[in-house]
Amino acid sequence: MKTGTRFGPAKDTRWLAAWIGVTLLLVLWDARYLNKPAFDRVITGFVNTFTIAFLVIAFTLALGWLTANALHRLESRGRRAAAMTLTFLLNLLRSVPQVVGILFGYVGVSALHDAGVLTGPLTIFPLLALCMSLFIFTELADLMRERISHFTQSDFYSAMRVCGIPEGRIVNVDILWKNSRVHIFNKLISVFGMAVFLQCSVDFIISVGLSTDVNEVSLPATLGNLLAKIDSKQDILAIGYSLFHPSYIGNLFFRHLQGLTVAFLIVFTLLCVYNIANGFAERHKL
Amino acid sequence: MNAAPFSIRIVAGKRPIVSIDDFYVAWDGITFLFGESGIGKSMICKALYGLLDPDELDVTMGGAAYRMFLDSPASRDIRQNSFFVFQEPSSHLDPLSRIDGQLREGSLKGAGNEEEVLNQLWQGSDLTKIQRILKLYPKPYRPSGGEKQRLLLAMAFKKIEAFQQAAPQGAPTFFVFDEPTGSLDNAYRNRFLDMLFTHYRRRQFTAVVITHDYSIISEVRRRYADLTPRIHYRELERTGDATVRLDDFSPDDYLNWLSGARGAAARAESDDRVLTVEPSFSVFGRKHTLFRDAGRTTPAPLVIRRGEMAYVKAPSGVGKTTLAKMVMGLYPADAAAMELCGMKLSNKTPGRVWPDRIWGKRAAMVFQHADESLNLESTVRQCFMGLPLKRTLDDAALRQVLSEVFDGDLPGAFLSKRVKYLSGGQKQRLNLLRSLTLNTDLLILDEPLNGLDFRSVTKVISILEQRRRAGAALLMISHNEEIFDAVVGPQSVYYLN
Repeated sequence: MKTGTRFGPAKDTRWLAAWIGVTLLLVLWDARYLNKPAFDRVITGFVNTFTIAFLVIAFTLALGWLTANALHRLESRGRRAAAMTLTFLLNLLRSVPQVVGILFGYVGVSALHDAGVLTGPLTIFPLLALCMSLFIFTELADLMRERISHFTQSDFYSAMRVCGIPEGRIVNVDILWKNSRVHIFNKLISVFGMAVFLQCSVDFIISVGLSTDVNEVSLPATLGNLLAKIDSKQDILAIGYSLFHPSYIGNLFFRHLQGLTVAFLIVFTLLCVYNIANGFAERHKL
Repeated sequence: MNAAPFSIRIVAGKRPIVSIDDFYVAWDGITFLFGESGIGKSMICKALYGLLDPDELDVTMGGAAYRMFLDSPASRDIRQNSFFVFQEPSSHLDPLSRIDGQLREGSLKGAGNEEEVLNQLWQGSDLTKIQRILKLYPKPYRPSGGEKQRLLLAMAFKKIEAFQQAAPQGAPTFFVFDEPTGSLDNAYRNRFLDMLFTHYRRRQFTAVVITHDYSIISEVRRRYADLTPRIHYRELERTGDATVRLDDFSPDDYLNWLSGARGAAARAESDDRVLTVEPSFSVFGRKHTLFRDAGRTTPAPLVIRRGEMAYVKAPSGVGKTTLAKMVMGLYPADAAAMELCGMKLSNKTPGRVWPDRIWGKRAAMVFQHADESLNLESTVRQCFMGLPLKRTLDDAALRQVLSEVFDGDLPGAFLSKRVKYLSGGQKQRLNLLRSLTLNTDLLILDEPLNGLDFRSVTKVISILEQRRRAGAALLMISHNEEIFDAVVGPQSVYYLN
């Protein structure tokens, strides 16, 4: 049995439990003390943010897998020109800073929304997630290519091929699934953290007005744009105020809950995801 | 430690590694210990020698905790007077210390006649060559595997000489040689045996030689018959998942089987050529030539017909596996001309020809190391998935296939067992079966007997013989010359330079 320490559950399990437990406590506290409209906004922002982050994982996995397979196939069949072209395109994508790329993606999504092409979360969410995945999936594709490259040097790859086992099966079942799924899953945990962070950053940037084409009305409510709302900003400012007026600290937990909840959820989620990924890597000796 | 049997149990975490109720070592005798790879031979000997870490493994010896055994005076005496030659020479040597320093380290300092021992192990080679090796820091590729193995043997013989010169009468010893000839050719192997028995004649000691090389038996019978009462052959036999039993191994069983195999030496049953390789070929800038005569005077093409078993001989590292991989299109040749099942192949043949028309259809190959050629994360069942077979192997059919080399009724759980939890011998049998299931015209087998116990060796040879009779062409690559010289007729033996 794999456990992190001899004194209890593994580090990743502990942090996952901590995230779930603390988030539930926060929901209960907010349900009791946060006003109904603000509570609904926070819940919507939270659900939207996490839905998009999970969609990012799905798209990243699909794009990474397709790219790694395509490159391996082109290289193993000696189609060097095609492999180099695809590598060049990937490097081009890699050269764009993630935040900038996603920002432009959001501009496009917003424009499509304003033009009436996109209506409702069923179409907007996947497109937002795809925008983010486009600037993240190269990391997963690199990992998959490294794993494929490592195992194609080993005897088991050649031994299976000379027995007539199809290359696609060896790469996808024996290398990526049987021998790399733990590595891939660990990367996807990090992708989740990146998706939350990038989403909140871009939403925040858009919401405070750096873009004139996109506004908070045209995009779904997320934790990022909730944080940029004036009442949340005031809640955050209240933290600074309470530093110099300690008697005010108690009010933070009753009168400034929206901003504090949003900020806490973002920071605490990122901290937990970081520790879950680290713990998972330690537990599986990656 | 004495001749009375006692129990040893070794558990890692919750997983039992090996458990034996009646292990014993002949006091002041030489024991050759056989058994399939991974059955626990080394582990049991390490436990007896006192090399296992009680913090890492849960070990009980004779029902008592391992620490008690380690702290006992007898165990301490054994460690003081003995030596353990590890199976993998590279892992025994310290890469940060010069070899001459390691040869004189600790209790080896001033022990025995080092120069004489080295001279004997190098068979009187130029002294400057040995001196050059002694000044090296061990690296993965230098000294060579065979040289590293001889250096470890030199340490053991120095320790034997130290014991013989200085230890009081009755002092206990336990010299363990774990696969001491794995990287040596037959001439060096025989030199090792000669030194072992020469030293033994001077003053007796207890030694265990762990080996898969059954041809040692013939050499020992031939040259050291006078010591027969002091020489013991034992075999570890699996009785359960991790439980084993120590049996006497009858050398006559092996010798009789070998003589029977000699009588049935394979002959081609048709003139239909399956594989022809022109005598000269070049791979990775290195030129190779095939010969029919041991003197390597007249180059000759390698020709294997339907119903023929051919055997390619060459010392380690000359290029036997390279030849096999070139035929299978895994290594691109710089220059080569071959014909496989009527298809002309050369260094100009596009690489796609092999996967499209040859692999699994006309030819298949069994790789040398089962550990590396199987996906360790797969289950036994999954090892046979994806093979280009006419019908899918369901569990019943798969059991039928496995029963060719696995004894008894295999439990259902065996098919779902991960390869990484199988013993080395079980892995090797799976490795062989995967290719044998395909029924291709040509089957290349690189060291097919690696890690197998005697019973499995006879089964595998019998299956190969059946395939040959059924019309398959078989190309053998093996260091096990005695067995394949017997199984393959002299008309089908080739030599590679």
